[in-house]
Amino acid sequence: MLSNIRVVATKELKDNLRDRRSTILSLIYPLVGPVLLGILIILVGASLVAPRVSEHVVVAKGSDQAPDFVAFVRDQGADIVETDIDDVAQAVRGGMHPAVVVFPDNYADLHDNEQTAQIQLIIDSSRLSSIMSIGRTIELINRYNRQVADQRLTTREVAPELAYPMEIRSVNVAASLSISGIFLNMMAPFLIFSVFLGGVYMAIDTTAGERERGSLEPLLINPVPRWQFMLGKYLASLAFTALAVLMGVIAYKLIFELIRVMGVGIKTNPSIAEFALIFAICVPIMMLAVAIQIIIATVSKSFKETQTLLGLLPLLPSLPGMIMIFVPLQATTWMMLVPTYGQTLLISQIVRGDVPPTGDILLASGSTAVIAALLCWLAAHFYAREQVAFAG
Amino acid sequence: MIEVRNLGKSFGNLVAVENVSFIARDGEITGLIGPNGAGKTTTLRILYTLMRPDSGIALVDGFDTSTAPQEAQRRLGVLPDNRGLYPRLTAREHIRYFGRLHGMSGEPLESAIDDLVATLGMEDVADRRAKGFSKGQTLKVALARALVHRPHNVLLDEPTNGLDVASSRAVRDLVHRIRDEGRCVLFSSHIMAEVQALCDRIVVMGNGRIVAIGTPGELRDRTGESDLEEIFVAIANEEVRLRASDREKAVA
Repeated sequence: MLSNIRVVATKELKDNLRDRRSTILSLIYPLVGPVLLGILIILVGASLVAPRVSEHVVVAKGSDQAPDFVAFVRDQGADIVETDIDDVAQAVRGGMHPAVVVFPDNYADLHDNEQTAQIQLIIDSSRLSSIMSIGRTIELINRYNRQVADQRLTTREVAPELAYPMEIRSVNVAASLSISGIFLNMMAPFLIFSVFLGGVYMAIDTTAGERERGSLEPLLINPVPRWQFMLGKYLASLAFTALAVLMGVIAYKLIFELIRVMGVGIKTNPSIAEFALIFAICVPIMMLAVAIQIIIATVSKSFKETQTLLGLLPLLPSLPGMIMIFVPLQATTWMMLVPTYGQTLLISQIVRGDVPPTGDILLASGSTAVIAALLCWLAAHFYAREQVAFAG
Repeated sequence: MIEVRNLGKSFGNLVAVENVSFIARDGEITGLIGPNGAGKTTTLRILYTLMRPDSGIALVDGFDTSTAPQEAQRRLGVLPDNRGLYPRLTAREHIRYFGRLHGMSGEPLESAIDDLVATLGMEDVADRRAKGFSKGQTLKVALARALVHRPHNVLLDEPTNGLDVASSRAVRDLVHRIRDEGRCVLFSSHIMAEVQALCDRIVVMGNGRIVAIGTPGELRDRTGESDLEEIFVAIANEEVRLRASDREKAVA
């Protein structure tokens, strides 16, 4: 029994490895995720790191009205420049300046009379890259406000504390120093995508492809139970999927090293052991993915139909992960029971530097493995059908 | 020996074979002839275990192809209707793959492969990958992988279909040799001349039924025709008449 399965699996691996183009392509696909992630974090992420005060430039219009403020900003180590552009709104929308502070014409009078002057801060909230600079400018204005208020209250012999019942001190616990941390959440769905893509060509080729080429009929006449043929092909596709996912995981590790070296504000850098754990967490999904692929390749009518169906398949399991990039969820027990969903949460936890509970890992792996085994049984059942051998 | 008793098989409303019975003996070449759509391929597919009959049984050396498929498969060498190859495997690797699936290995397997390569005259392509093989080369590989385990019963579905003269002759020589070794050969064809030249016994099928069974001589005596093609036409006409009268009876 084992020898039959081995003979089939070995033949399929050898046959498919000789198909150089498909092999190389299927090993390149899993690199797309890590490369994209690297580009996003390094290029976009770098622009989202909060600028140091000394590098910050406040752009103002009408700043001659506010020499005190100008002096304050320079005193804080930042710089302030006057813009001569008339259409400030257009300049901000076009991305020329992240923010412009506009002082009204009567600012000096109001200031001297110790009245509240309304200044405008022109921003474009849809520009992600401006967020940090806007924040820095607002911070400077707030600090200036407080300094002037303190002075005014002190001259009237009022303790400034009376005016401020609360003071905010936020503590950032994010795994990354910049907003680019949200990109870390992309790793799990990318990885699961590659699980469903890694061995798909082989699963199609060894089942629907073999039937269409007319070699399945003679093969199935050999004295080997159908389920053993199925399992041999299954194991070959599984091995290929594992190889593709391994390539992906190694690429992620290299990208994280690069991110660390470049210092673009991502604090976490999972260790090799943690990446090994991520790979192990993916194994039950690989089993599940190949079982689904073989079922679809067995029941669909043609190679083409199989390709279409299986081309769409990877989107489905990676969808929850895609949504979680922007709406992260707290992991709960029932989520662990849902194949690919539990793993998405576990992988995200590891990437963010948390240690997922062992119980959760066992639960997610166990439930997915059980479902994969049931699907394998179903695949064997479909493989035993009469029409499997004949095309059309 | 191959024995088929009261075989019936339908696909939806289409009756593919109906009440088909015949025996293909050891040491004989049995030809299954009939026009396209007569039910030859369905009958063979049931015999080589890939289809289950709706009724009746098919036996290979006494093993029921539905209930003991692997026992039957061990005793069968089959050239099926579909005879596709793996484009990236060499001829020799094709034969080796099937030999291994029959539990063969090592020296006995390698010498069996060498024998077949020599017998079928395929030394020139033995170590070439199958991509781009001609019809004749493909057929030889398909035959070799079917015969690697020296099966006692050989089923060939239209073996010479689309072959050139030389390849057809090679197949005929091989079939004779298998018969002379006391093995059982059952092959289907719609080429009358080939059947006449090769067969010890002929099973004529039409519309999914057995129309006539006999040696070429017996069929000649029955129809009064000497050329098999004429015999075949005479039997086919006879069958049409029978069917028409059946229908009339049914209507009456």
